[in-house]
Amino acid sequence: MNLKDKVIEALKSVYDPELNINVVDLGLIYNIDVADNNDVEVTMTLTTPGCPLHDSITRGVRYSIEGIEETKKVEVTLVWEPAWSPEKMTAEGLRLLGR
Amino acid sequence: MLPQTMGSETNIKLPFSFILFSLVALVLSQLLVLVNGQMVVNGSFRIPAIWSAAHLLVLGWALMVAMGAMYQLVPVAFLTPIWNEKFGFIQFFVTAIGISTFSWMLYVSPQNALIPGILMLLGILMFLIQMLMTLRKQAKPNILTAFVGSALVCLFLTIFLGITLIYSLQTGFAADYYQAIFKSHLLMGVTGWFTLLIFGFSYKMVPMFSLSHDFPMVQALYVYGLYISGLVITILSFFNGNHYLLKAGFFLLLAGFSVFSWHISIIIKKRLKKKLDNSFTFALVAIGLGNIVHLAAFMALWSVPNSLLIGPFVYLYLLLWIVLSIMGYLYKIVPFLWWTYKYSKEIGKKSVPSLKDIMNEKIVVPLFSLFVFAVVVVFFSIILESILIFNIGQFVLSLVFILISISILKVLKK
Repeated sequence: MNLKDKVIEALKSVYDPELNINVVDLGLIYNIDVADNNDVEVTMTLTTPGCPLHDSITRGVRYSIEGIEETKKVEVTLVWEPAWSPEKMTAEGLRLLGR
Repeated sequence: MLPQTMGSETNIKLPFSFILFSLVALVLSQLLVLVNGQMVVNGSFRIPAIWSAAHLLVLGWALMVAMGAMYQLVPVAFLTPIWNEKFGFIQFFVTAIGISTFSWMLYVSPQNALIPGILMLLGILMFLIQMLMTLRKQAKPNILTAFVGSALVCLFLTIFLGITLIYSLQTGFAADYYQAIFKSHLLMGVTGWFTLLIFGFSYKMVPMFSLSHDFPMVQALYVYGLYISGLVITILSFFNGNHYLLKAGFFLLLAGFSVFSWHISIIIKKRLKKKLDNSFTFALVAIGLGNIVHLAAFMALWSVPNSLLIGPFVYLYLLLWIVLSIMGYLYKIVPFLWWTYKYSKEIGKKSVPSLKDIMNEKIVVPLFSLFVFAVVVVFFSIILESILIFNIGQFVLSLVFILISISILKVLKK
């Protein structure tokens, strides 16, 4: 398993506590960059600007990646463009919402 | 014990101070109504004991919850931090002492309620300053700002008119307008402040809790225009006594509320989350119930000598729309506050509970259904003037409020 796969796996342990769906299946993760020196940069969004869980979820994303032994520096960038939309969810995410 | 600060997040001691105080006031208000049942059934709403109970419920519970929730929700909904947290704590103590002494004085000696009333006014003014300074920092005002800002203006008018009433009782000032001022005080407090506030925050919370997406917002402008016009025209009718104007005002309020119900139903239809949480579902049911009361109040203007029904209708509106809405949202807000305090530092490091795990969802349906049932029983006991039915309904209602308060407090053990 390469480091990027490990990062995705770790991110699947970070749940939105309101919806009880992880950030990957919710479609919140836009991009994962793993540098040669194992620095990780994640670009992500939230379902709505002004989400009260803003700090908790982004912090959780950072913690989960920092928990992987090989990672060096972790940077999480929150963006609002493109805005989150339901199409970004995985089939599993939609299933968990009862869709 | 709760920590003093939590980094960049809200210091939850502030909203929780308001919420805990409010639960005590809620239970006390219901017990006061219970022991004064005979008066209520006889249609004597305007007696010191009922004034006291009503203000404990409306100010001690609903206003304090609304303030606590706003300290939490305003930074969320408007993307701007609270202006001054320390000022918030001072405001809490001033308002809490003001409301407690004011409610007590209304019970024992209403004509001497002016000083506690002024203390309460000071606390509420401090809150208004806090919100004004916070909302001023908002980058781009929107329709939510209009609803919440107008609600705050109505809150100020409510308090101002209330103080005028007490002053009028003491000195005879504006005695000819006492009735008009009293009705305006009631209208501004119940429909102006609370309804506009719930409208505003519903536009943030409904899409959030139902995960709705891609819904229109143009209807909110109509809701705002119709409801504000209704408030203004109704107040004018109180002062000039024109019955047609009163009907026009009530019609506009009904139209505004109906467009709001329709708009929320559009948002809900656009949801991604198929099964909604029970407490949130009851907050949505409250919208339908509020709409029914608006319709009934408008229809009553055409048929019944309306003064007979003012008390029972205000009671229904307060309990089935305002209290039920706030209660439904409280079951979402309290677990969130506690989760943020207890688990937001653990997420990503280890498995943490979801918000649903923190609040006992199983009790919501029976408890809230019993609440609606008990309120309807009390309403009919007043109409039928039956003390026996009133005591049964009010006893059940007091019990439900105690159980709801306990279940909210239990969250703090999770």
